[in-house]
Amino acid sequence: MHICPRCESNRSEVVTRSPVKGAWEVLLCPVCLFTWRTSEPDSITDPAKYKSAFKVNPQDIPNAAHVPPIPERI
Amino acid sequence: MAYKDFRDFLHTLEKEGQLLTISDEVKPEPDLAAANRALNNLGDKTPALFFNNIYGYTNARIAMNVMGSWPNHALMMGMPKNTPLKEQFFEFARRYEQFPVPVKREETAPFHEVEITEDINLFDILPLFRLNQGDGGFYLDKAILVSRDLDDPDTYGKQNVGLYRMQVKGKNRLGIQPVPQHDIAIHIRQAEERGENLKVAIALGCEPVITTAASTPLLYDQSEYEMAGAIQGEPYRVVKAKDADLDLPWGAEVILEGEVLAGEREYEGPFGEFTGHYSGGRAMPVIQINRVYHRKQPIFEHLYIGMPWTETDYMIGVNTSVPLFQQLKDAFPNEIVAVNAMYTHGLVAIISTKTRYGGFAKAVGMRALTTPHGLGYCKLVIVVDEEVDPFNLPQVMWALSTKLHPKHDAVIVPGLSILPLDPGSDPAGMTHKMILDATTPVAPDIRGHYSQSLDSPLGVAEWEKKLSRMLR
Repeated sequence: MHICPRCESNRSEVVTRSPVKGAWEVLLCPVCLFTWRTSEPDSITDPAKYKSAFKVNPQDIPNAAHVPPIPERI
Repeated sequence: MAYKDFRDFLHTLEKEGQLLTISDEVKPEPDLAAANRALNNLGDKTPALFFNNIYGYTNARIAMNVMGSWPNHALMMGMPKNTPLKEQFFEFARRYEQFPVPVKREETAPFHEVEITEDINLFDILPLFRLNQGDGGFYLDKAILVSRDLDDPDTYGKQNVGLYRMQVKGKNRLGIQPVPQHDIAIHIRQAEERGENLKVAIALGCEPVITTAASTPLLYDQSEYEMAGAIQGEPYRVVKAKDADLDLPWGAEVILEGEVLAGEREYEGPFGEFTGHYSGGRAMPVIQINRVYHRKQPIFEHLYIGMPWTETDYMIGVNTSVPLFQQLKDAFPNEIVAVNAMYTHGLVAIISTKTRYGGFAKAVGMRALTTPHGLGYCKLVIVVDEEVDPFNLPQVMWALSTKLHPKHDAVIVPGLSILPLDPGSDPAGMTHKMILDATTPVAPDIRGHYSQSLDSPLGVAEWEKKLSRMLR
């Protein structure tokens, strides 16, 4: 189980592992869709050090503006 | 002068001393982006970068900054690498007028070598990586995306080939940002109004000519493939996609085929953009990938984007300026001299024009605002006299400092459209726009003291030639 550095959900999944065994994994958060590699600097991988301006509150995600809006069916 | 494929262009760059191979091991993050950012800081003649030793990968090969300088842009057009920018602009404009050049169709392409239709995992297939620290994930930002108009699928020009940022958000899922001013937004709307998915194909690692055409603000019904043919001076080669009636660039390294899922929106972003700001996070359409094919050991092309100037600015500089030039010439064929819309994709545009009568330059500025590209860009239009070279910023600043009277020559038009990525727009997508008339007033606009403009001493042209020879 991995904590997402951006939205701090604990549901992140491994989507790939390095072809050279043990170098890194890539993780994907299914809540905020953040992706990171475990070999990245801790300003990216550590929830405590992730820049506050880029943090995402999971409660805000359903309210994100639709770009473009979904049109009416005709 | 057509390049056979992406590798052929890289080979040309290498031959011309415009490709730097980095064989030392680099980390995917932050090295790849950092090296590219550093390169962009080193001037406007930099080479492309080719990385072949990336930590954790066994055979990943990544090309970046492929079009990230004026020499590389000249080579894209088959011109000598030291061709001055203004000459590249007029040559591009000349070729633009050769449009359309019909495509050449092929049955097979090198990218058919390897095909994947089950258990697609883009994170395995492509050496993806983060560019800027606040990016929400890993992106495809130099891939072209092909889609068709659903109301009029038989009009060839309405097949769209465009460059859109795409976030890889799952093993076979991408997020796409369809800016309303761009053609893909029209196709997505058509499909969603029907409740249908929109078939798309994505090509990575293409010859620079199709990337250039795909990032040119052509009219909606103009074909990017037929423009690529005009720019390269011979028919552009295409091959059919397998899951849809879409044409693909023959020389691509990797093809992804899939569909935009009707009515789905999913959190996307932020992404460090060409405006020098992050885009923010919004809910955007999703593409599901159903089929991948690629060359053996494909080269992954990526583009660093961020605070200007980066590769983006070289890639979309001349080809943004030329359509504005042509469309303004359509309206004022005897007056328009040149257009420089190279600054932040044309958020600023500088137009050099003759003036027929007082107030004329302001009308030229107004027309720029209503061109298709101007609707989403051209927030500040500077109009200068015919003698001023719009690509020579010191000359433009001279015109602004001496010709412009703020009381008469600064025109603000309220409440116009702009691309939502403009961080100053409020609400996103809306802005006032400004025209600065830095031309010399002519009758009946009789203002200022302009009858004694400075001339040069006699014989300057001869001395220029003589001194140039002596300085060689």
